[in-house]
Amino acid sequence: MENEKTKLTYRQSWKMNLRAWKIWWKLCPGVFYSTLVFSIVKASTPYVTIFLSAQIINELAENRRPEELTKWVILTLFCAAGCALLQGIFSRWANYEKAFASQMDSQIYMKKMLSLDYADIDRQAVFDLYSQIKQNAQWTGWGVHRTLSYFEELVMAVVQIMGGIGLSVSLFLLKVPQNSSLAFMNHPLCVVGIMGLMLLIAVVSPICNNQGNQYWISYASEAKQVNRSFSFYANICKDRKRAADLRMYQQQENVCNIYFSRIEHSTIAKNAKGPMGLWNALSQCITAVLTGVVYAFVCVKAWAGAFGVGSVTQYVGAITQLFQGLSKLLETMGGMRANGEFLQTSFQFLDIPNRMYQGSLTTEKRSDRNYEVEFRDVSFRYPDTDQWVLHHVNIKFRVGSRLAVVGMNGSGKTTFIKLLCRLYDPTEGEILLNGINIRKYRYDEYIRIFSVVFQDFKLLALPLGENVAGSAEYDREQVKKCLAYAGFTQRLETLPKGLDTYLYKDLKEEGVDISGGEAQKIAIARALYKDAPFIILDEPTAALDPMAEAEIYSRFNEIVTDKTAIYISHRLSSCKFCDEIAVFHEGQIVQKGTHEELVADTAGKYYELWSAQAQYYTK
Amino acid sequence: MEEKKKSPYNLWQNTAFMLAQAWKTYPSVIFLCIALAVVTAAQTVAELLIAPMVLQKVEDSAPLKELLLTIAGFSLALLVLSGLKRYLDTNTLFGRVGVRVGLVRQIGMKISRTSYPNLMDTRFHDLENKAADACSGNTEATEYIWTTWTVILTNVLGFIAYMAMLSGLHPLLLCVIIATTAVGYFVNKRINEWGYRHREEESEYIKEMWYIRETATGRSHAKDIRIFGLAGWVNDVWYKSLRLYQAFIRKRESIYIWTNVIDLLLSLLRNGIAYAYLLWLTLTSGMSASEFLLYFTAASGFTQWVTGILEMFTQLHKQSLDISIVRELLEYPEPFRFEEGEPLPKDLPIPCEIRLEDVSYRYPKAEEDTLRHIDLTVRPGEKLAIVGLNGAGKTTLVRLVCGFLDPTQGRVLLNGEDIRRYNRREYYKLFSAVFQEFSVLEASVAQNVAQRVDGIDQERVRRCLEQAGLSEKAESLPKGLQTPIGRQVFEDGVELSGGQTQRLMLARALYKDGPILVLDEPTAALDPIAESDIYQKYSGMTQGKTSLFISHRLASTRFCDRILFLENGQITEEGTHGQLLAQGGGYAKLFEVQSRYYKEGGEKNGE
Repeated sequence: MENEKTKLTYRQSWKMNLRAWKIWWKLCPGVFYSTLVFSIVKASTPYVTIFLSAQIINELAENRRPEELTKWVILTLFCAAGCALLQGIFSRWANYEKAFASQMDSQIYMKKMLSLDYADIDRQAVFDLYSQIKQNAQWTGWGVHRTLSYFEELVMAVVQIMGGIGLSVSLFLLKVPQNSSLAFMNHPLCVVGIMGLMLLIAVVSPICNNQGNQYWISYASEAKQVNRSFSFYANICKDRKRAADLRMYQQQENVCNIYFSRIEHSTIAKNAKGPMGLWNALSQCITAVLTGVVYAFVCVKAWAGAFGVGSVTQYVGAITQLFQGLSKLLETMGGMRANGEFLQTSFQFLDIPNRMYQGSLTTEKRSDRNYEVEFRDVSFRYPDTDQWVLHHVNIKFRVGSRLAVVGMNGSGKTTFIKLLCRLYDPTEGEILLNGINIRKYRYDEYIRIFSVVFQDFKLLALPLGENVAGSAEYDREQVKKCLAYAGFTQRLETLPKGLDTYLYKDLKEEGVDISGGEAQKIAIARALYKDAPFIILDEPTAALDPMAEAEIYSRFNEIVTDKTAIYISHRLSSCKFCDEIAVFHEGQIVQKGTHEELVADTAGKYYELWSAQAQYYTK
Repeated sequence: MEEKKKSPYNLWQNTAFMLAQAWKTYPSVIFLCIALAVVTAAQTVAELLIAPMVLQKVEDSAPLKELLLTIAGFSLALLVLSGLKRYLDTNTLFGRVGVRVGLVRQIGMKISRTSYPNLMDTRFHDLENKAADACSGNTEATEYIWTTWTVILTNVLGFIAYMAMLSGLHPLLLCVIIATTAVGYFVNKRINEWGYRHREEESEYIKEMWYIRETATGRSHAKDIRIFGLAGWVNDVWYKSLRLYQAFIRKRESIYIWTNVIDLLLSLLRNGIAYAYLLWLTLTSGMSASEFLLYFTAASGFTQWVTGILEMFTQLHKQSLDISIVRELLEYPEPFRFEEGEPLPKDLPIPCEIRLEDVSYRYPKAEEDTLRHIDLTVRPGEKLAIVGLNGAGKTTLVRLVCGFLDPTQGRVLLNGEDIRRYNRREYYKLFSAVFQEFSVLEASVAQNVAQRVDGIDQERVRRCLEQAGLSEKAESLPKGLQTPIGRQVFEDGVELSGGQTQRLMLARALYKDGPILVLDEPTAALDPIAESDIYQKYSGMTQGKTSLFISHRLASTRFCDRILFLENGQITEEGTHGQLLAQGGGYAKLFEVQSRYYKEGGEKNGE
């Protein structure tokens, strides 16, 4: 992914924010309602206090009527309490909605990932894009989720500005007595001039601030690299699988620490001492100047007799709040603009189309399991590569037969299976199910006829039974039967909660750790539970010792009964009992036949593979 | 729930520890804390004073010049103070991060170099996780303690300043303020503890949702999810956790709302009393409106200082517990000797001899011994193989030989001397090893082979890659030997296949060129031709070295000088391949099973 740093315009980033808000609106509208009322109450509360205490001061400065004072004090106290109560209630509501929303954030990406074409998931670019989104969110908080805080900040700023205007309009309207030497302050030009000056200062301060923050933004890519490095090198010591090597090869001393010390010298620290710190400081200084100007204008007017002492506190308070609101607004807008770039990344990911053509045919459920699959002149290369992984593969599966697919690593065996399961579509040629191109079937229908135990199969850290069934609700008897077929019964009996036992300890303290061999048995049980007419084992015995291997093979042959079974292996011992063996070499099927036929051909690839392995066992 | 263990260090000791850490690396951190506190307190006082002081001038109708000068004076003070504060603020982060990273580094050194048996210790493991958490971010104890102390200092300074300002008032008012604040604080703390008491419930839901998210969005589960249609299930589990989490938050917030109620009641009381007293004072003693404003604002501000001090000390207490954990980990006792052990003899005869003398080993908390009474001598320069089924104790034996574990009974001897007396890290230097599980670094190919960052002998790297059969692949990479491996750190990194990784590990062992070679099942991920290729090379690699080869595949062991057959933690048979077959024992039986499928014209379909 190229980092094209084209800065977005406000308009573009605004559009993207709108889109993000729309996503949120659909997922959790409550978060908008709750933050709206909360922000309104929160932003207006200070004005209530400002207004009421100004009345007390005014009364104190002038008439000092005890009953008036008491009235205002009681009013102040209870209004403040009322506001605090409302704010409390709404903040709790908003907290609840926000906690909900920050989880729903996951749903946005889960939904997309679960529906992506497999070919896209497998693409490095897509993976990088998603990692980028995740890192942006985790390390710096940029992305779709942040638009919610912008909403809150915007509402708050707008209310603050409106309240400030409301309480300070009279400041400009009230006139200094005509006979005063300061009567020129009544002149509209003077009023406009002062307002303009304040506005100018108010705008310059956030500009300086953004100038300073610019250093953070330009540091972002370095920061990302630092974070990537840090999160790897700070954590390898905890990985028990690395423990032996760490000691034998002194990795911490010789490599990790070196990378670590590179992390510590960042450019941002230098900038903070210099320009970045100064810009930030300047922005604060300017705010102090604004305070001075506000005080001067208000106090001079009061001094000249335009209004009372109490009103001074009101005007100063209101204008200060007003300009705070204004700079918050500018800051938020700046933030939204900066976030636009990150939103773009998110949307780029969310907009990945599903390219795989999906037909509408259903695969009729045949009780006779009479499905026939044929590869017709299939060639394949992975997207964005120019290397052919499969060349002109032709093969037909006989129903109920046992097929072995053998070959060296990288000969195309696993890719062949990926095409069969339509995780990828062939680049050339076609795959037919009962004579019809598999693209014409609905994918969920088509995939129903396959069960696969991949070499790198994965189980989830959830209850055993759910893992076998692949769902939260399942037929317990059937699951037990499948586990029995897979040879797991003995182990099942030792599990504390039977089928409800959690696998692994990721989620539950009382979960059980299972060995590679046991996991494989569960994966096989899962494949059996699906009860599909085709069952495929992709190098299923790599983690097993010879005894266990022999056991699995002999048993499996029994289990699959009338199903069509396909075995993939580089260990040729698994092929002998198969009806047909297809030998893959450099993406082509170079030989086909039974073991006896193939081993007899001493010039063939099969013989070569066979001898390499058998040399240790013969004699 | 574990029992409440008293922390070995108190709050002051831990503060001293952090000060010492900072003093060594980034002493500026300490000065910045103090400066920031002083400036912040001063700014708050200036902000408090400006309104009443200016107002007083207006009220007294002082000359215009005086009014303007007062405003200018305060503005200037605010300008300097707020500018300075912001400047200091911008600069605090980096030193603090540096101190924390320094601790992360020390923790890394401790964990990756600690005596291996500590890794099996649950207490150690527990400390490890907690210490890592305590150093994991800007808001964790080892960094945030600086903020805490800055705020405490600020609050104490503010407290003193406001106290001085309010000293003209009746002391009872101060007492009321302090009392109501303290009551509010302690009651709210009690309420807020609900979240702390139920934190495990919360983190369980979050953990579940996070796990499902990682599963659903990761690449490794994608195939299974599609083939078995697991999306529905995965979503069900996620939503189930979400509903529970929502209920939890709803409950929490409905309890926390009481803190708002209590706060508003107490401030109603406090402000009511303050208003009443100040009004009375104003009306009876003729205090001016500006003085009233000053006192009232100061009284409310005073509350915040008191709350601040109380809150920050509570926070400091929690952070101190976390820092104790970091220290406990760093000071965790080492059963092995390292720097304090004897160095290896300078004239160590090479190749070396390794002898296990009546060695038994039992894992902590295990019911029975994994290895029992092993007597074994690996003669200098010998090629020894150890074979056996999974669970026979092969890996444990390797760990004992490599000095990762010390025997429960018996001794491991290097050239006749007990290895326990030596500096264990020097002992490790003797080994070139490839284990079943390895640590591939996110660094360049060359760095992975040489296991260092600078000073790499590129020619030697090339030779070792060649020997391991990986040079063709390595040269074809976009940046050759400088291409980074893995994509976690480098965006342009490459991912190696299982077989390629194994070859890389082999090259690494060759580069190290230690006098003892240990290979623990290095060929599991290879296809038959590659496997046979590695075995051929293996013979060449063992020249002039003592070597140990562990396998469950008997095929690989025939070219060794001697084969040991390990069964149930004991060496039951030993000899050459031919001798073992002739004995007709366990080895022969196992060989029979493995070779059944390969025998020409062997019986069909197994059993």
